[in-house]
Amino acid sequence: MTATSAPLPPPSSADEAAELAARYGLRQVGVRPSLRQYVRETWVRRDFARYLATSRAYAENQDTYLGQLWSVLNPALNAAVYVLLFGFLLDTKRGMNDVVAFIVVGTFLYKFFQDCVNGGANSIAKNLSLVRALHFPRAILPISNVMANLTSLVPSLGVMAAFILLSYFIPGTIWGGVSWRWVLIVPAIGLLYVFSLGVAFIVARLVAQLPDLQNILGFVLRLGMYASGVIFSIERYVGALNNDALLHVMSYQPVAIYLDIARQSLLDEPAIPLDWTKWVWGAGWAVVFLVLGFVYFWRAEARYGRE
Amino acid sequence: MSSVEPEIDFEIDPEDLPERAAAPAELGPPSVVVNDLHVTYRVIGARRRAAPLAKQSAMRRLLAKGRQHAGAVTEVKAVRGVSFVAHHGESIGIIGTNGSGKSTLLQAVAGLLPATSGDVYLSGTPSLLGVNAALIKKVSGERNILIGGLALGLSRKEIESRFDEIVDFAGIGDFVELPMNTYSSGMAARLRFAISTAAVPDVLMIDEALATGDAAFRKRSKARIEEIRHDAGTVFFVSHSLASVRAMCTRAIWLDKGIIRADGPVDEIADRYAEYVAELHSEGKDDRDTAQ
Repeated sequence: MTATSAPLPPPSSADEAAELAARYGLRQVGVRPSLRQYVRETWVRRDFARYLATSRAYAENQDTYLGQLWSVLNPALNAAVYVLLFGFLLDTKRGMNDVVAFIVVGTFLYKFFQDCVNGGANSIAKNLSLVRALHFPRAILPISNVMANLTSLVPSLGVMAAFILLSYFIPGTIWGGVSWRWVLIVPAIGLLYVFSLGVAFIVARLVAQLPDLQNILGFVLRLGMYASGVIFSIERYVGALNNDALLHVMSYQPVAIYLDIARQSLLDEPAIPLDWTKWVWGAGWAVVFLVLGFVYFWRAEARYGRE
Repeated sequence: MSSVEPEIDFEIDPEDLPERAAAPAELGPPSVVVNDLHVTYRVIGARRRAAPLAKQSAMRRLLAKGRQHAGAVTEVKAVRGVSFVAHHGESIGIIGTNGSGKSTLLQAVAGLLPATSGDVYLSGTPSLLGVNAALIKKVSGERNILIGGLALGLSRKEIESRFDEIVDFAGIGDFVELPMNTYSSGMAARLRFAISTAAVPDVLMIDEALATGDAAFRKRSKARIEEIRHDAGTVFFVSHSLASVRAMCTRAIWLDKGIIRADGPVDEIADRYAEYVAELHSEGKDDRDTAQ
């Protein structure tokens, strides 16, 4: 029999297989592509990431009678709880003009970051049916998770604006009114988005390799909430300790920076003036985390989906 | 049901089977080269008992019991050293009892499940049709078509131009607007098949996905498979139904406990496998229950 009418015998060694593959132009499966190629493949499938994101965000609220209304109700109720607890029940003014606005901006943006990290950690396990069915750069999964969270953040921003406007009616609040600086919330969220994406890449790989970390993540994020000035002003509480080094580290860590620049744009607080150096810090953190996170995630590309 | 293949051919009535696949006179060049492939699953959080608990001292028993619930990792060797070469224009049936590693082999060859060791070389992009047909269950069929197509690397325009064809082929009609968790398993499998073959893949792998289809769909899918084979693609086909493997395939690989037991023309291998299964049954040992 000739080689064309019967299949070739199985290769007897790795070398023979490689030689055979080279002769017929086959490419090896399950090897990591080069970084440049990986970036290109990911970029080509950006539409895929976007559709996956919007579909997931939509599916989130699908099994309820109020449906997509929940994407507004959820953040509104959330903010109401925080404002009730920290704005009214626990004594509060704390030298601030508008404590409601301060809390609402903090909790909303931190929730976005937290959802990005949690979703990033789950992104491989949650999409295992996709991973086991289709070829695509796995980086799409953490990316689409962060995109999905951005999709849910948009209605939250409306709620956030409503709370800030309504805080006018709270006695004792010095209301800043609507300012041109409000548009700065867009770049502020943009930077937070890029940073969160970088963190999502890192936790996605960590949890894919060591699922136990998932359990620890919740504690880290809760700690991060108190260490980033989500509800309390860092300067006011850490500043009281008279430890300049600690104050500096805590005010310039990424999450605190993003909350700060978001408040610079939306709030009218003498304690939080417009400070462009913090914006530069924010941009720096975003780029560093995005690059580090992407490369770290890419290095394990051939191993996702094994467990 | 024939007496040689007891209880195996529950999926298909013989009269439903399409025409036999014609063996090609000439094979194309190799499209898949697999060398000494091993796949080991690490199952985290599960441990087999090393020895019966009763035979150990109380202390060791306690430790062993504890270890069974914390820090446990079990390795399952699903594929243990598989090598073969597949050619363009071939359709290869993979047969074997449950738990013999058929699905794992397909996933690893498709590059969707990382291999523990060994090499796999492919021409072009493979497309795998798994048992879990829905890509995202909570989302409409329409969205699943888009997501699947985009993931396969099609552009949105290309998907839009093939959209009607995909829906027609799957025969799901208005259901395309409903979430996929409202679909019957047959509808889901049909839609998946239609999505996966929308971009003609070089290597198509079908993992029992067609078992849920009705006779009409089986004819259509058979035609599509022939088309792919005709366009010099390679088709892998996993099924419990020997009859459908005989009908769809030109070659068969018999996998047993992760090792290739036989590889050759479909009729020869299928006959040997049928004999083996019949023997298992006459010994009163149902491998399908124990092997899982």
